[in-house]
Amino acid sequence: MSRLSRYAGFVVGVILLATACTTPEPQIIERTVEVTKEVEVIVTSVPEVIEKTVEVTKEVEVVVTATPQPLPDGAKIILRVGTGDSGEGLNPHQEIIARFEEENPDILVQLEAVSGRDYYTRLFTQIAAGDAPDIMQIGDDAVPNFVDNGAFLSLDDFISGEFPLDTSIYLPGTLDPGQWEGTQWLLPKDFSPLAVYYNKAIFDDAGVAYPEDGWTWDEFLETAQTLTQDTDGDGDTDIWGAQLTANWTTGFEYFIAAAGGSLISEDGTEFVGYMDSEDAVQAVQFFSDLYNVHKVAPPPADFSLWAGGNSQFGNGQAAMRLFGRWPLAGYRDNPNVDLGMVGVPVGDERANTLFWGGFGIFSGTEHPEAAWRFLRFYAGEQGSDVWKDWAIPPVAAAAEAAGLTEDPIEGVWISELDYLVPRAYVFTPYWGQTADPALRKALETVLIDPDADVQAVMEQAAQEAQNALEDQM
Amino acid sequence: MKPIRTGKRLNLRRNEAISFYLCISPWLIGFVLFVLGPMLASLAISVLRWDLLGEASFVGLRNYERVFTRDPLVWQSLKVTTIYTAVYVPMELVGGLALALLMNQKLRIERLLRTVYYLPSVLPGVAFVVLWMWILHPDVGLINTLLSYVGIDGPRWLVDPDWALTALLLMSMWGLGRSMVIYLASLQGIGRQYYEAAAIDGANYWQAFWRITIPMLTPTIYFNLVLSVISTFQTFTSAYVGTDGGPLDSTLFYVLYLFRQAFQFFRMGYASALAWVLFVIILGLTLMIVRSSRRWVFYGGERE
Repeated sequence: MSRLSRYAGFVVGVILLATACTTPEPQIIERTVEVTKEVEVIVTSVPEVIEKTVEVTKEVEVVVTATPQPLPDGAKIILRVGTGDSGEGLNPHQEIIARFEEENPDILVQLEAVSGRDYYTRLFTQIAAGDAPDIMQIGDDAVPNFVDNGAFLSLDDFISGEFPLDTSIYLPGTLDPGQWEGTQWLLPKDFSPLAVYYNKAIFDDAGVAYPEDGWTWDEFLETAQTLTQDTDGDGDTDIWGAQLTANWTTGFEYFIAAAGGSLISEDGTEFVGYMDSEDAVQAVQFFSDLYNVHKVAPPPADFSLWAGGNSQFGNGQAAMRLFGRWPLAGYRDNPNVDLGMVGVPVGDERANTLFWGGFGIFSGTEHPEAAWRFLRFYAGEQGSDVWKDWAIPPVAAAAEAAGLTEDPIEGVWISELDYLVPRAYVFTPYWGQTADPALRKALETVLIDPDADVQAVMEQAAQEAQNALEDQM
Repeated sequence: MKPIRTGKRLNLRRNEAISFYLCISPWLIGFVLFVLGPMLASLAISVLRWDLLGEASFVGLRNYERVFTRDPLVWQSLKVTTIYTAVYVPMELVGGLALALLMNQKLRIERLLRTVYYLPSVLPGVAFVVLWMWILHPDVGLINTLLSYVGIDGPRWLVDPDWALTALLLMSMWGLGRSMVIYLASLQGIGRQYYEAAAIDGANYWQAFWRITIPMLTPTIYFNLVLSVISTFQTFTSAYVGTDGGPLDSTLFYVLYLFRQAFQFFRMGYASALAWVLFVIILGLTLMIVRSSRRWVFYGGERE
């Protein structure tokens, strides 16, 4: 071997060894926090002490780490907060933690961010080992599972206890997903119903009037049809009327609810007779026709990606998009899209579904009171004050004060909260293993095969879900 | 002459035995702790019903009964895995050999080409699959774009249940480099005298290939075959990242289904039963190949 390659090999070996031996350092972030404090001011002519409120800018350290790290300071209570957010999504968390630490100098908060599909698996293993973060973030459909396994502390006593929380301050429907079997277990972090984004530029070009709140499925179809165009005459659609949700099952519950149907019986034991009911079949038929008959929706690009992995709306190639609030910030900044917002169209009924994330206290925590103080700060008015810059805060007053209720875009999300129907997962703890895969398969079947008999497909899905449910019992 | 069993002899043998076990102890300890132990634990879990957080309850052979009689997705996943293996393994054998034969010509850039062909096998699996997902994108992907230049309307690859498995097979072709390198090493180990003797007897290229090269390569082919079958049956990454079971379960690989049962549905007992069934299947296949190897593997090559 030549000298050079031997030397290079040595260097590479040392680098690999070095990276293998060092442990990852927790990231310490400094955030500047504006805090309103009361300060004593001495007035000279008459010796007097007056209290004045002054804004002070302080730098506070916020620790962000993927794994629990021991901190040197033994006198403070250390709280660990687990979240599945990542990247820029961590900024509001860090901001709130900084403010909380400023006001509560006896508590230090560590943010443990674990993003990706493994978040729940990791949480489960941590809970099983008794070593979960004191405060954990989970999504709405995981609540029954976690609560039934005893992972959370009931919040009812805290809410009416020494550090009370007035639960009437919240926007309608935002506390419900955190409740299970009559008890409040989690407080809201963020949430989103469904709504329709539309691109004003495309509407203007085609001379179509903007959609109005309370519009019907027929009006939705008509608008989409008028806007679906082949602008360069090559036989391929260049502008699509509406980008829909493909094989996303929980998003599809809106269509079922708007058709007046439901996917499961109230007691959570029957799918047959519900998933294949007339209303459900009508919803699936309408959905499938939008793709296959009227061809106003672009075909899904990738079934393993969320809602089909389509990108037409963001590229300015689709006039509308039915989805949740998550891509809103991106669309606002997107030069291809002149954004407008309207509520979901009304079918036989006006309905919407809520997607929600919340925080709860781990049942094995060593500092329940400190954890509650943080949770109350986080999900209450102080936290909402930070959230309003990133999402719609769950506290109604904060949303109004930030002008979100009147905002033509944000206001739509808030007004849709008046029409929420319960999600299907609340009726059975086995939703994810039974009806969810069956429904997903049914949607994929009708999307792939334009000639599929929707009634037969839904009957099969209902039977599959029923079999899987009986297996569980 | 009979061996004299003196104390010294016994001590020597015992010393050798001790030093043997001492030498392999790191591997042995690792094997027991990280392979044998978990295997036995999984066997124990397979007769329980356990969701990782709650109580475990004994259910006897119910999980195995479910695998064989009440779960159609097990058969679907076995079908998918078997088809994939049955197509991929011969492709890898033939393709790897072909590439190695090409590399074996005295080319000046042989070293460079060898590295280039081996490089994809070194790439991290997930990054590799994500890259291919983009190449195979039905609307803007590289493959469909190139096909459209020739006027062909490309299939919708990972979204089409008829094409998804083919797409995964296409993706996996990049991994040929590994077997190519092994074949190349073996090819270069075949003595020149055989070819020279054949040339004297007037054999052409194909005759030399079938009567010298292939027989001399059979041990390597056997090695590659066994390893390939074992690892291809356990394909996971490309299915998990690329299609998550694919449109309508058309790429539901067995190990992916196992993973789903264990970590998405939290049915540890059932997943352990699935794992043991897979073990028995692969063991059976491997034994079949070993048995048959007596017929076609030729170890006669003498070394100088």
